[in-house]
Amino acid sequence: MSFCRRFSAVLPGIAALALAGAAHAVEPAAPVLPTYTAAYQPQTKDERGIWMEADEDERVLRDSVLLMRDEGLNAYVRQVLCREVGEDRCRSVRLYIVEVPQFNASMAPNGTMRVWTGLLLRVQNEAELASVLGHEFAHFELRHSLAGIKARRDAASLAAWIGVLSAGAANIGTGGAGNGSTLQLAVLGNYFKFSREQETAADLLGLQYMAKSPYDPAAASQIWQSIMAEADARSVARGLKPGREYKAAFFGTHPPSPERAAYLKAEADKLGKRGELRAQEYREAIRPFLPRLLAAQIRSNDFGGSEYLLQTLSATEGWTGDLLFARGELFRQRGNPRDLVTAADLFRDAIAKGYANPEAHRELGLSLMRGGQEADGKAALREYLKLKPDANDGNVIKMLVGS
Amino acid sequence: MMKNAFAAVCAVSLLSAGAASANSLVAPGAHSGVAKSSIATTSTGEWNKLSRTDGPGVEVWTRDGDSLNKVSFFGGIGGGLPIYRERNKKEAPLPKVTANMLLPDIPVLLESTYRSQYQVNKFSLESQDIVTIEGKQAIRFTYSFVRSDDEVERKGEAIGSIVKGKLFMVTYEAPAIYFFDKDLQDFRKMAETLKF
Amino acid sequence: MKLVRNLLWLVACVMLLVSAPAAFAQEKTGSKAGFTLKPGTVRIVLMRPTIRVGSQSAGGVITPNAEWSANAREYIAKALKAQQDKLGNVVVDYDEGVTKDGAVVTQYSNLFGALADSVIEYQFFPGNRLPTKKRKGSFEWSLGNGLANLDSLKGADYALFINTYDGYGSAGRKMLQLFAAMGGISVISGVHWGHAGLIDLKTGELVWLNADRQMGGDLRTEDGAVKRVEQLLKGFPGQAAPAAPAAAPAAPAAASTATEASK
Repeated sequence: MSFCRRFSAVLPGIAALALAGAAHAVEPAAPVLPTYTAAYQPQTKDERGIWMEADEDERVLRDSVLLMRDEGLNAYVRQVLCREVGEDRCRSVRLYIVEVPQFNASMAPNGTMRVWTGLLLRVQNEAELASVLGHEFAHFELRHSLAGIKARRDAASLAAWIGVLSAGAANIGTGGAGNGSTLQLAVLGNYFKFSREQETAADLLGLQYMAKSPYDPAAASQIWQSIMAEADARSVARGLKPGREYKAAFFGTHPPSPERAAYLKAEADKLGKRGELRAQEYREAIRPFLPRLLAAQIRSNDFGGSEYLLQTLSATEGWTGDLLFARGELFRQRGNPRDLVTAADLFRDAIAKGYANPEAHRELGLSLMRGGQEADGKAALREYLKLKPDANDGNVIKMLVGS
Repeated sequence: MMKNAFAAVCAVSLLSAGAASANSLVAPGAHSGVAKSSIATTSTGEWNKLSRTDGPGVEVWTRDGDSLNKVSFFGGIGGGLPIYRERNKKEAPLPKVTANMLLPDIPVLLESTYRSQYQVNKFSLESQDIVTIEGKQAIRFTYSFVRSDDEVERKGEAIGSIVKGKLFMVTYEAPAIYFFDKDLQDFRKMAETLKF
Repeated sequence: MKLVRNLLWLVACVMLLVSAPAAFAQEKTGSKAGFTLKPGTVRIVLMRPTIRVGSQSAGGVITPNAEWSANAREYIAKALKAQQDKLGNVVVDYDEGVTKDGAVVTQYSNLFGALADSVIEYQFFPGNRLPTKKRKGSFEWSLGNGLANLDSLKGADYALFINTYDGYGSAGRKMLQLFAAMGGISVISGVHWGHAGLIDLKTGELVWLNADRQMGGDLRTEDGAVKRVEQLLKGFPGQAAPAAPAAAPAAPAAASTATEASK
């Protein structure tokens, strides 16, 4: 179910490609989507059980404090899904945005789709978002969580779940101090372990949606590449070997993801279609929520991954105030002497670019003061107090200014 | 070799059995040397000190169990150290205290630690103010957060300061429903008599 | 010299092992001092049960299994229905109706889980019991009186919360258990928690709780679920006594907690 742990290996992938007949080799083909049967109802006892479970989870999810309830944002993400899979299919989906800063999306067999906010931060454009949501929908359409229930008596292993994002481990639970914690997943999503064949099938059907949608199929491969690059950046910053988060060697039974990115690209190329990315539209839609998404990322204590993400985000529209501010925070929090200098520069940059948030002056002041530049620091803090006279930390800052 | 094996086994047995036997009563009145540090306070009403520790510099008091009400004392965490024992140094490292931290950096450190250690995906810093503890300035802040493992909305109130490059902090946390208000006044009295 | 030291280790270790089981002897039921419930006098709302079933890896991590949970939910619902008539009072399923109480009730449900867990950890385990929970035969736990304000619970006197959390030990976990046992360490394979608690809606007090971390009954089977539900509701207050033989030990169990707690 969870997207972040899907890495189909190349060999079964290609075998399945031939079987599925989705790709007609070199020639660009207009793929034919299977007719969609809406409102599928569970047939067997097992299916009914899974449905009931999904319904119960959805009931809890609907009341969860972790939901992002903003109507505009929900409508927008839904719109991207609908463009990707078409209105017919889209109607079967009830979409929920859950505030968890890691990369993930999933879909339950009753039509509940969960999108984590970490996914929204990581995709660069509508096409990438569409490819992830489309892949999830494909599992749903192919009823993968039901197929072979009997054969899958055991749930996904932790390794399979961790997948590319060890940072996500924080949300898996540690099985530690003995509360029922790891089972509180109605909101985060339940677990279905898909086989490589199922992953490949979902990838292929996903590409068929893409082919019919306005979006560029190349995005499907692109998102994997950036997720791997982020994982590498995180590992390197932590003094670990890059690739360990997603290579087969590390997780034993776990299929590697570089191959997946490669075959997705190959298959997308065969479609011979160049669609839209809609990067600008995506940035505009996410902008109001970006500070919140960034703050959660910056405070996840993942310097390497965060720095990589910021660099990637800046590639689309340059270093905006939001991004400069977040990057300043990132360096200020690490807090080495040189980091404080960098942070101060970044906050100044943000201010110079017209970033209106008074917090920029606060953070600039704190960086300078911590770096020993008292006078300049106090000046920046005074500016903050002037811009935000009713700040909820006014007394704390006044104390630092010494007035 | 043998001895080491025995030692290991005994150590583990001690941990499991010992941990399960030594929660102690905190009687009303003055207490010093809290969290094996210079922290002192005067409590009203009875509390329990948990034998379990979440880190070498941490002491936890509770009335009904730490998921229902929890007063944590951080007794002078030095520069370069995390406030809790890291459960996975490699994959989920915790942010470290730095000697030149400013008071407003303290809530940020707490939030960042919680996000990594406790599956906290939602944290909101609600108010910040300055208080004086023995003539030394400290930050007093309130916050709310949700741990993804139980999704109980909790509120927190804390006082922290950097003394000689070390972090001293006391936090009070409890579910927003009923529990937070139940013992808030007792915590505040403790906070008023706090010495770092 | 070396031998002596080794022997000392061994002795120390054996002593620990001997003393350890005492710390793990655990109570399973508690009720507020003096609490009784007469059959046929009150209306009880059964809140939506939280049911989670998964498998436990060697590392102790529990991975939920949707299929097992689904089966367990169905079996438990069935078993609860069967038991409902035997509980001595009117028991109805919670219904949010047209109220907007869902989110608040979810918070209460989450909080009940934390509360029940706290009772197990800090009152039922004698070795880990909080000193303030050892006295006066006391069983004082509460969710506060906020539930009284909820429209969706109007007209009811008590709320019955039920949670089960199960992680079935994988082969790896069982291996670890075996291995650890050889070293004298207790590793529990599988987690089988259950909470059933009755909350007085006027005061928010927990008046009765049946909770254990090693419940019986394999929820992956229908018979197991029946057994689990019986165990969860064992000693349920207000139960018409003679109906089933299973109800017989109920009263002594509650009483023994009271005596245990008062010493």
